Parts: sequence; C-alpha cells; structure tokens
Amino acid sequence: MEREILIVGVNHRTAPVEVREQVAFNDGLLDGALRQLRTLPAVEEGAILSTCNRVEVIAATIDGDTAVEVLTDFLAAGEQVSRERLREHLSVYRGREAVRHLFRVAASLDSMVVGEPQILGQLKDFYTRAATVGSAGTVLHRCFHKSFSVAKRVRTETGVASKAVSVSSAAVELACKIFDRLEDKTAMLIGAGTMSELAARHLVAHGIRGMIVTNRTFDRAVELARDFQGTPVPFEGFQRYLQMADIVIGSTAAEEFILSPKLVRDVLRERKYRPMFLIDMSVPRNFDPGINDLDNVYLYDIDDLGGVAEVNRDERGREAEKADAIVEEEIDAFWKWLGSLDAVPTIVALRDKVEGIRKAELVKTLASLRDLSADERNALEAMTTAIVNKILHAPITHLKEHDRQREAFYLAAARQLFDIEEPEDR
Amino acid sequence: MMSVLLLAVALALYLLTTATFVAQAVTGHEAMRRAAQSLLACAFVAHAAALAARAGLMGYEAIATFHDELSFIACIMVGIYLLLSLRTNLTVVGALVTPLAFLFSLSAYAFHTPTPELAPRLQSIWLPAHVAPAFLGYAVFAVTFCLSLIYLLQEKQLKQKGKGDLFRRLPSLETLDNLNYRFVSWGFALFTVGIITGSLLAKETWGELWSWEPVQVWSVITWLLYAMLLHARSVGWRGRKAAALTIVGFVVLVVSFLSVNLVFPGKHGGTFG
Repeated sequence: MEREILIVGVNHRTAPVEVREQVAFNDGLLDGALRQLRTLPAVEEGAILSTCNRVEVIAATIDGDTAVEVLTDFLAAGEQVSRERLREHLSVYRGREAVRHLFRVAASLDSMVVGEPQILGQLKDFYTRAATVGSAGTVLHRCFHKSFSVAKRVRTETGVASKAVSVSSAAVELACKIFDRLEDKTAMLIGAGTMSELAARHLVAHGIRGMIVTNRTFDRAVELARDFQGTPVPFEGFQRYLQMADIVIGSTAAEEFILSPKLVRDVLRERKYRPMFLIDMSVPRNFDPGINDLDNVYLYDIDDLGGVAEVNRDERGREAEKADAIVEEEIDAFWKWLGSLDAVPTIVALRDKVEGIRKAELVKTLASLRDLSADERNALEAMTTAIVNKILHAPITHLKEHDRQREAFYLAAARQLFDIEEPEDR
Repeated sequence: MMSVLLLAVALALYLLTTATFVAQAVTGHEAMRRAAQSLLACAFVAHAAALAARAGLMGYEAIATFHDELSFIACIMVGIYLLLSLRTNLTVVGALVTPLAFLFSLSAYAFHTPTPELAPRLQSIWLPAHVAPAFLGYAVFAVTFCLSLIYLLQEKQLKQKGKGDLFRRLPSLETLDNLNYRFVSWGFALFTVGIITGSLLAKETWGELWSWEPVQVWSVITWLLYAMLLHARSVGWRGRKAAALTIVGFVVLVVSFLSVNLVFPGKHGGTFG
C-alpha cells in the first residue's frame, strides 16, 4: 500500500451553502474533532479546513480506500446531514489531485473569488491548530509548508491576486443596481468577519452616508464603528435599528437565523417599504432565505455574491493558467519527496550510502597496507561490515516502524540526517 | 402629402433605431448606444416635421383624427425619452419607447385619413386646451409603462440573484421607481387638466359638461385608477406592485382609447364628430 494524501469534503463548487453549513466545524469543537481524527482507522495524519466556502479534511494515509469511507462518516457524524445527501456533494481528491487541490486552495485559485487574500491566512490558522493538537505529522507538515510557498510564488509571480475582484465589490455593484445612489443610504453591520468588514469598507469607499455597527462584544462594535466612523449599537435589541438601514450585512457566528421574514416584514412597514439590500456573509447563514420572497427586499448570501463576481472570472483566466503551471511544478517536487517516504527505498538508499562510504574508506586503507595477507584483508572487510550493520541496525528497525505516522517521521529524518534527500526538494 | 412621406421616413427610422437598440443590448457597445440615440433624434425630427406639415395644412383639424392622435402621442413619447436621456443614461428605456412609438406611428399610418371635416362648432379655443394636455398625458403614461416594464425586468434579475449579465445594463430599481413616480404624477396632472378642459369643451359644443359619453366614462375609470395608484404610493405601495399597477393603468388607457375611437365612437368619436 502506498502512502498518499487525500482530501475529502465539500466546497463551494460541489456543495450548496445548505450542505456546507451542516458539516462546518464550529471553532470550539475543532480541537476535539482533530483529536478524534487521529484515532480514526487508516488515517495517519489529519487536518481540517473549515471556512465559509469549504469544509475539507486533509489526511495522510496508506490505505486510501478505507480512509475515504472513514472520513465520509467522520464528516456526516453528529450533524443533520445524511450520509447519502453528503455523498451527492462530496468531493474526494486523491494522490496528486489532493496535493494539487491543497496548493490551489492556498494560492486562492480555488476561491469563490479567485485571488482573494484571506484564504492563505485561514489555511495557516487551521494548519497551526492541527500541528498543535498533533494530528498533522511529517507528511502534512511538508505538504502545508509547501502549499504556503506555492501561494507565495503565485502571489509574487502572477497577477491573480492583484486582479482579484472580491465578493465585496460584487456587493457594491448590486447595491448600485438597487439604489439610485449610496450617498443618502445607511448600512448596518451585524457581527464582524473578514468578508463583511471588507464589504463595509467598500461601501464606505463608495460614499455610503452612515454605518451602524453591532456586535455581541460591544467593545468590538465600538472599535469597528470608530474604524468606519459609524455608530455602535448594542447587540441586544439591534432589531430596533434595522428600519434605519438600507443595507444590512450579517456575519455572526449564530447557529440560527437572526433575521426572519416576519421581522423584516415589520421593518419594511416601518420603512414605508423603501427597498432593503440584505447581505448574508456567514456560514451557517444568519438571514432566513425566505426573506428574499418579500417585496422590496433583496437577500444575497455569499454564494450568490460569488455568482455575481464570477462573470469577471474570464479576465483573470490567463493569470490563473500561469498560476496553475507553478502549482504543477511544485506538485512534482513534492511528489518526488512523498514517493521517497517509503521504508524500502529509504533503507536501500541508506544502506547504499553507508556501504559506499565503507567501501571507499576500505579501499583507501588497503592501498596503504600492501603487505596484508588475504585473511587479514577478509578480517578487515568483515569488521567494517559488522560496524556498519550494527550502527544501521537501530535506525533501520525504526524505519520499519509499524506506526505509519512515526514511520513517516523517521523516514524523513533519516533522509535528512544521512543526507539522502532528493536534492531538488530541499 | 408631405406629411405622409415624412411619417414614412420617421417610421423607417424608428424601425432602424429599434434594431440598433437591440444590437446594443446584445453587444453592449457604447458606439451602438450613441448611434441609436442619434437615429432616434433624427426620427423625432422627421416625425415632428410630419406633424407640423399636417398642422400647417389643416390647422386645428391636425389633432382631430385618430391618425393624428396616434402620431402625436408617439412623437411626444419619443420627445420625452430624448429629454430624459439627456440627464440619465436610460438606454434600455429607449429600447422600449422606440418600438412602442413605431407601433403607434404604424397604426397612425394605417388609419391615415386625408382631410377630416371638423364640425365648425368645435373650432374653439378649448379644443387645443383639451387635446394638448390629454395627449401629453397619454404620452407620459406610455413612458411610465415602459419604465414599469423595465422595473419588473430588473426586479426579477435581482431577485434571481443576478444570474446573467443583464442586470448590469439596466438602471437601478430606485432610479426607475422614482422616475416612474414623478412621471405618473405629471401624467395624472395633465390627464386631469385634459378632462376638465374636455368638459368645458363639451359644455360649449354639446351643451352640457357631463353627458356620460363613452369617452367620459372611460376617462373617469382611468383617472380613478391612476388616482388610486398615486394614493397607494403615498402610503408605501412602491416597487413591484406600483409598477404592475402602472402597467394595468396604461393597458386600461389603451383599451379606452381604442374603444372610444373604434368601437363606441359616441359623440366624441375619432373625429370629434
């Protein structure tokens, strides 16, 4: 069985937000989930990536088929989504595909808005969590670090990032198609998040008149409000202020809807049915999708905004091709390293290396000791061989370790200590 | 028959402009938009010249036939759009107004009557005072009809979460709604004046202010409908519902206009008989 990397999960390409939010890992439960991941059969190393656009488990395994099954159950476990429903939307990447996927995610090539910069930071955070808990081992360390350097190369060598048209600009574009002008409009920000703050910043840049900010932590609301020159209001009873808001951006960690159709209907009546633009930036969603059925209300969630931004995707196509070429190059390098992480070739290489040293030194020594008898020569030969074998015995035993996660660690260490790394992969 | 010839030119130009607007909608080229605007301006000039030629020929009678009414309304509609487009970029409104103007002008062309006999008693100062605001009102309502159709289209685009690219080429909902409101108010005011001066004209020609003629009944129905719409707006009926009601109002207007002229002419009739 070959060592491989695989990724099992749902992402914005394969699964609608309803499914993604059901398998998403709540921040508080992440460490527990990572610990559980380590105990799963066939899974040697694991990390979890859970953002609004994707929930993916990245694992190193030597039994891919079993691992895929186990990880599917892992994702379906304890959540409302059935295994069958999950299967419909599940994407599985194996081998090189998996490495490619991780690299592309890191480089923001797989983002809903290609080139958006947040994903790399998120990926780093999730990797750090997995490394701290200890569920990520040698293979994933290497794979993640490689993905970070791929992301850096893509950012510096291609125009993918600089041309990023974000979900936020899509939000502003839509606002300009609902409202005549933004200069006399007020926006309300409920909760804080990278995307929602970015959207708010865009609105401010486009001249929105007022900004109301609320947050469960009032200090954070005050801080944000200062940033946007807006007004902080307490989270309790924020509904009272809704009627002042033409644009509402939601991004709280609430597990249930914070805006219902009934509430919005009442707010609209108070507003004399002046139109409202609701932007739901959170997963799980904050605003009941039924709100969109009301007249004069336009509700967009993050998927919808992605759909609007998508139209601009072609322009970035060429830069994305360049970026993909970089990804392919780096996959090759990583793949070579991963392939070497096998006991047999490593042991062979190690033996060859040490045997080569022994032979070379023996030849040198024998050259200066010309008058040795055949027996004496044989004794020298036997002694050096014995030394080499004895020294190698313990390392080779460890390399044949049954715990595959530790095995990978020893293999990587041996290759480095004895300098038998793939030279181009250092 | 200078006017007929000019009308034919205007018709051809309307058709060409419509095609250009369609091409613009498909390709999104700015050059197409400018071409369509210029073509439409030419069409307007030709059309206005046709009307002027006819007025020069017949004086008051020039607005007394069904042919002339249709032609007049179409021309004013285009004029309103051209004025509007000086201020805001509403290409898509032009794309609707132009074919509508074409349709009206074509009917005008088809119903062309050479020289009507205008009853001498109608030769009153109240005739233009009645006809001008009434037709201006009609033309304004025709524009609100176009604005409302576009509103519904844009509303649908935005409710469907901006699938496709069309929403980018349509004006914002608020722009459309505000314009619609303003135009309905103007149309209503003109229409009201038209009814009042019409009654005064009736008093002078028929002897009584109100005689429940088909035209009067229909006018009252239409007037009530628009009055309702304006009232509803003032209490918050905006957006989709208001647009739908505006469309209904215009349809009733067209039905009344056609039935008065073609089905139940009554005393008013096509030629103010």
